[in-house]
Amino acid sequence: MVILRAGLCPGLTAEMIQLLKANGIATVVDLVSSDLEEVARKCSLSYKALVAVRRVLLAQFSAFPVNGADLYEELKSSTAILSTGSRSLDRLLDSGLYTGEVTELTGAPGSGKTQVCLSIAVSTSHDLKQNVLYVDSTGGFTASRLLQLAQTRTGDEEEQVEALQKIQVARVFDVYKMLDVLQELRCSVSQQVLSSSGPVKVLVVDSVSAVICPLLGGRQAEGLALMMQLARELKTLARELSMAVVVTNHVTRDGSSGHLKPALGRSWSFVPSTRVLLESREGTWGKASTRRIASLTKSSRQPTGIEVELDIGSCGVLEESPAASGEGR
Amino acid sequence: MQRDVGSFPLAPGLRAKLIGAGFQTAQELLEIGPCELSKEIGISKEDALETLQIVRRECNSNATKTAGDPEAVGKCTALELLAQEQAQGFIITFCSALDDILGGGVQLTKITEICGAPGVGKTQLCMQLAVDVQIPECFGGLAGEAVFIDTEGSFMVDRVVDIATACVQHCQLIAETHQEEDFQKSLETFSLESILSHIYYFRCHDYTELLAQVYLLPDFLSEHSKVRLVIVDGIAFPFRHDFEDLSLRTRLLNGLAQQLISIANAHKLAVVLTNQMTTRIGQSQSMLVPALGESWGHAATIRLIFHWDNKQRLATLYKSPSQKESTVPFHITPHGFRDVHPPPPSQTPAEVEINPRKRPRIEGDKQQ
Repeated sequence: MVILRAGLCPGLTAEMIQLLKANGIATVVDLVSSDLEEVARKCSLSYKALVAVRRVLLAQFSAFPVNGADLYEELKSSTAILSTGSRSLDRLLDSGLYTGEVTELTGAPGSGKTQVCLSIAVSTSHDLKQNVLYVDSTGGFTASRLLQLAQTRTGDEEEQVEALQKIQVARVFDVYKMLDVLQELRCSVSQQVLSSSGPVKVLVVDSVSAVICPLLGGRQAEGLALMMQLARELKTLARELSMAVVVTNHVTRDGSSGHLKPALGRSWSFVPSTRVLLESREGTWGKASTRRIASLTKSSRQPTGIEVELDIGSCGVLEESPAASGEGR
Repeated sequence: MQRDVGSFPLAPGLRAKLIGAGFQTAQELLEIGPCELSKEIGISKEDALETLQIVRRECNSNATKTAGDPEAVGKCTALELLAQEQAQGFIITFCSALDDILGGGVQLTKITEICGAPGVGKTQLCMQLAVDVQIPECFGGLAGEAVFIDTEGSFMVDRVVDIATACVQHCQLIAETHQEEDFQKSLETFSLESILSHIYYFRCHDYTELLAQVYLLPDFLSEHSKVRLVIVDGIAFPFRHDFEDLSLRTRLLNGLAQQLISIANAHKLAVVLTNQMTTRIGQSQSMLVPALGESWGHAATIRLIFHWDNKQRLATLYKSPSQKESTVPFHITPHGFRDVHPPPPSQTPAEVEINPRKRPRIEGDKQQ
């Protein structure tokens, strides 16, 4: 729905636009989808000129089809798989986080979503030496915990400092500021303003539902529109800038069945390609435990229902020995 | 600027008109003037001018940001945040076991939620924290002020007088043993009258007043910049009765939580909320869970649950980004919130000088 402006393409002059507007054709879509003979008659414009303009506009604004083989080659060369630092979590995610996709973590409060996010951030910045942008909207980001996780991976202070420097943190608490941060990231990469250490490879948004939930519900459709805007930003960042995007989501209780289900409803459920649910083993809160169960609830590559056990204790999301980093093509 | 028109904070009707007329990116909006815009869309000239101002302001702030000024939206590296966190203090609770499991005390820039059955000690802890935040810096406190928003009417001034007197006595004992200049000087300003005058008390009778109070809080805080603690005693009470539409309640609570965390972050203060408990009836058993539903559980960064075990009060840390889950016992004495067992013997003055942030402990003052 781009409006017609003089100079949009050669042959589209200001008088032409005035005549078209007078007859109700204001956007590119209107012009391209209307019957050109009738338009030429009504606006007293030359039919040939209109056909030429339409051809140029179609070339400019329509998408090009790509065949499957080319697409496969392109994906093979541009997708990277980033290990999360934990062997069991990598197994769940089919060897790690894929760039170009959005991965979602959901769970009840206290189930460990922020811990897994922090652990992914540290493992990316230390093991894989890539930049991370952490967008925090709940206030759950604690730098001292990040330092603890870095200290379990290396005893060298310089490496710890370097790892922490590769993690950029943005604290935003409402949806407009979050859109602001994501837009700015896209602009800074597309204008090729390189930061001191290189492009961002992993984007962690903790959490998406904290900024969207106050807007959903009721009779207004604004909330859904903003949620879809946010979804589009995240997917664009993932696909066009080849980043791996990790988001966290809350859970709500299903009214009819009493089970826990991810928040934000059905419209959001189509946005992430992979969904992981985190739960703790115990039902009561009397016993303290750092063991969590992660189960795969949606995936385009693996069968759902796979479960692995994670330990979010003092070693972060690791087993007894640190995991070897996965492939990064 | 390639920003989408939909991502600006405009009124919904205005946004619909803009998109209907074919405007997609901010670039197109920036190119036309307010008169043309009002003619194209059919809105008044003032609305058109306002819209263009909003768009220009957002785009200009973006431009200065990309020019290398990341403070505008608050982006910084984890290393800088670590330095900030380490320089921040905590608000102690006078119960050393609870301080330990919290990692030093109630943290600034985070929301801490205290849930518990009636009578277990939530309001007592809130009153204790309102006094503790005012402890001068040489004794290991923050020398800040407190805002107490009361929705249940459970704030008793006589009790705060008792707690404050005990706290002042404790500090006087420390000053006497260590005999230093600044200890004596700060004691002159730390008296019962000054403590009571630095607790700002607001009483809200229903949820509209509570929402309005939180909405007006940033203005109040910019006038009183020494406030380091905001307590909302009884966030559950106004939302639990009198609400037919539960989805509206969830929306309002989530919006409230986001406002509180952004206040906590912007003014570097701690927010403490108290919540009630409700019974969830499962298949075979019923459990006590915090009230206000599942979605509220995500609002607080740190969650403490107080409960009884026969005659002993226990505090469990249920949710925290940096500490493990654990349970400790505590007592409520005539002097306020205290440990169950006496704390370890007091440190020598040399140790205190090395680490001035650590609160020195005195044996004889605590009565169990």
